[in-house]
Amino acid sequence: MDFYYGLAQTVGVHTLLGLSAYIVLLTGQVTLAQAGFFAIGAYTAGMLTVLAGWHLVPAIGAGALTGAATACAVGFPALRVKGLMLVVATLAFGEGVRLFFFNFDYQVAKGEIKVGPVGGEGFRQIRFFQENGWTTGEVMLFIWAFVILVMAALWWFDRSRYGAVLRAVGEDEVAAQSVGVNLTAVKVSAMTVGGAVAGIGGALYAHYTTHIEHANFNVLLATFAIAYPIVGGLSNVFGTLAAVIFVQAFLIEGLRDLGDWRNLLFGALIVLAMNLRPQGLFGGRRA
Amino acid sequence: MLDFLQAVSDGVLFGTTYALIGIGFTLVFGVMHKLNLAYAATSIGGAYAGLLIFQVWAGAPAWAVFFCAFLGGGVLGWVVYVTCFHFIPLSNPLAPLMATVGMLLLIDEVIVHATAGMPQNYPAMFDDVMLRAGEFTLRGDLLLVGGVSVLCMIVLLALLYRTRLGLATRAVSQQPVAAQLCGIRVGQVNAMTFVITGLLGGIAGALIGASVGALSPLLTAPLTVKGLIVTVIGGLGSIPGAILAGLLVGGFENLFQLYRGVTERDLYVMLLLFAFLVFRPGGLLGPKGGHD
Amino acid sequence: MLELRGVSRHFGGVKAVERLDLNVAEGEIFGLIGPNGSGKSTTVNVIAGLFEASGGQILFKGGNLDGLPTHRRLQLGIARTFQNIRLFGQLTVWQNLWVAQNAPEDRARRGFLSRWLGGRGGARAEMAGLLEFSGLAHKRDELAANLAFGEQRRLELARALAAKPKLLLLDEPAAGMNSEEIGQLRDRILKLRAQGMTVLLIEHVMELVMGVTDRIAVLNFGQKIAEGTPREIQNDPGVRKAYLGGA
Repeated sequence: MDFYYGLAQTVGVHTLLGLSAYIVLLTGQVTLAQAGFFAIGAYTAGMLTVLAGWHLVPAIGAGALTGAATACAVGFPALRVKGLMLVVATLAFGEGVRLFFFNFDYQVAKGEIKVGPVGGEGFRQIRFFQENGWTTGEVMLFIWAFVILVMAALWWFDRSRYGAVLRAVGEDEVAAQSVGVNLTAVKVSAMTVGGAVAGIGGALYAHYTTHIEHANFNVLLATFAIAYPIVGGLSNVFGTLAAVIFVQAFLIEGLRDLGDWRNLLFGALIVLAMNLRPQGLFGGRRA
Repeated sequence: MLDFLQAVSDGVLFGTTYALIGIGFTLVFGVMHKLNLAYAATSIGGAYAGLLIFQVWAGAPAWAVFFCAFLGGGVLGWVVYVTCFHFIPLSNPLAPLMATVGMLLLIDEVIVHATAGMPQNYPAMFDDVMLRAGEFTLRGDLLLVGGVSVLCMIVLLALLYRTRLGLATRAVSQQPVAAQLCGIRVGQVNAMTFVITGLLGGIAGALIGASVGALSPLLTAPLTVKGLIVTVIGGLGSIPGAILAGLLVGGFENLFQLYRGVTERDLYVMLLLFAFLVFRPGGLLGPKGGHD
Repeated sequence: MLELRGVSRHFGGVKAVERLDLNVAEGEIFGLIGPNGSGKSTTVNVIAGLFEASGGQILFKGGNLDGLPTHRRLQLGIARTFQNIRLFGQLTVWQNLWVAQNAPEDRARRGFLSRWLGGRGGARAEMAGLLEFSGLAHKRDELAANLAFGEQRRLELARALAAKPKLLLLDEPAAGMNSEEIGQLRDRILKLRAQGMTVLLIEHVMELVMGVTDRIAVLNFGQKIAEGTPREIQNDPGVRKAYLGGA
């Protein structure tokens, strides 16, 4: 049973990662920076619970806040970079965050041992769940509470005027401006919301894996982040969820039967999906 | 001062390989207005394909390996074209991009499986040759890398500006619909662009393997990032820009390493990119305001 | 209401618009015509703020528009339609109107959260009138991309109206329309004027221009070559020469 709880935890956290990219993709900005905000949320929350003794919930809140703040700061210069250049710029940002944590040491003595992140070795002993006696099942439910919350929020956005405006900007910026939409506000706000969601995901990730290091937040994770909403389709949030389940369940199943061919399958899967259904699993009501 | 010069010269020579990768990205962007994120992977993949020659010719000399890498890169380039750009409607912006990401992962994993994840030694040429001027040295193998890269660039530019295929390619990049109406088979031109950049990439991969001494699938991700950085700094769509930027990034990278060490080096390369994005988004030789 | 003083727009060496003076009075329907390439669309884009003027001033209700971004101009009351329709194809008809509800009175009336995150109930009621006016009520939930060409043109206009503008810039709204549709468009424009709208109409289709405008200006190679009532313009030899090339 623990195995399935673990799988559900992974699906939950990856869904948050995918949703953080989903909202930004709606505005037409292709972002490879989400893994970076995810990392920032992870380290922030980890450091608060481990080094400062915070309870997990406010730590997650802080992770969301730092993720959002960084994303907002990135959102403004991102406006100046168009189209495919944004892909490169956000990729470089994400890598920059990873390299930052690669070089980041901050240790505090706790009793006899030192705890905290140590550059390349990473950040070990993030043991909030263990120290407070949570079972694997309880952790899974905790994670999914956040996933459901975020999905509900984004579902609500989608049905509101904000969602229509986001999509209008994604479809035709010139037309959107011409009917009075403030492009800067819309695009930066989407980036900020995405950063907050990624921060929450990262915070949860750090605590259920108990050990994070720079290599976890690499280019591969950044591509996973946009792969989920693209493969799932940008019509609604369930597409992203479906894609995460599809990929993670498929990979895990693939893992069982075919040893570690799973990454190969992942790549082939994406190529196939894009050829067979370029608009995504739940992709748009096309003309 | 000597260290400085040494770092710069070694960096610039190695940077010629970055220039080749940058050219590959920028050429595909220029012709199809799409990013082929699998490019660096095809380059490394081509390099690995070069090693396959040892299966049929045990004592093959280095140049034979390079040639095999050259061909391997071309084949992989064509494969990427077919899987990512031939069937997917190009009006869909995200799908081809995502497909190239899939190919990047796929090629990487195939390499890992074929080699059981072990780094493979790569033959070099002239690695025992050193030109000296006092304490300043020019490694023979790096000179070869520089020389071959420059040769490739010249051949590519000749191809683009002196042949019918090159003319067709430039026509397609400017006006795909009009080009089609003139009888140019756009699909073929696009496929050829991928094959040519693939050939280029294969050589680049082989040269990188030769100068580092070994190949590993771990090279793919940093090379992708660096190649994209070079492309953006040079100006998306500009080949001379990619060349210049490749040398620039190669040189700076080595300098950063000299002064701040290996772990911080890449961080500074990122900062270099951001500086360009803020002050000159069009890159060195692209349009002032940047491309869409 | 709208005044252009010596407005120019250059693209490198090309003088798309050169020292143009225009004066559109409130409540007027003003036509802007000229052969292809005479600078009509460029003029609209400069007024709307998509291009910066290379020279001259644009005054709207007395205030200088210099430096104001497009969305701010909309909030001041200038809306435009596009020559080649630019609808939000993946949004429904009513969603296209919803996105455009950016007029100051709409912004003031509802709180920030209600306006952005509120459901569509209140908005739908407001739009009903506009949909009726444009003959699109029956297609309210249809994706814009699925509409017939004539319906798309009507939606393009409706969307501009959803922003409750004071000045409407229509960029070749009759292109591709048949006589019956042109007649309906003409009626709609006259109804808008009766409600107090000022209209600047860029058009090629003379049937519409001559039948609906109060005054017309004629552009050729970016410069104004004639201005007057429709009757005067029809009889102007310079205009005839510009269109037909030579006597």
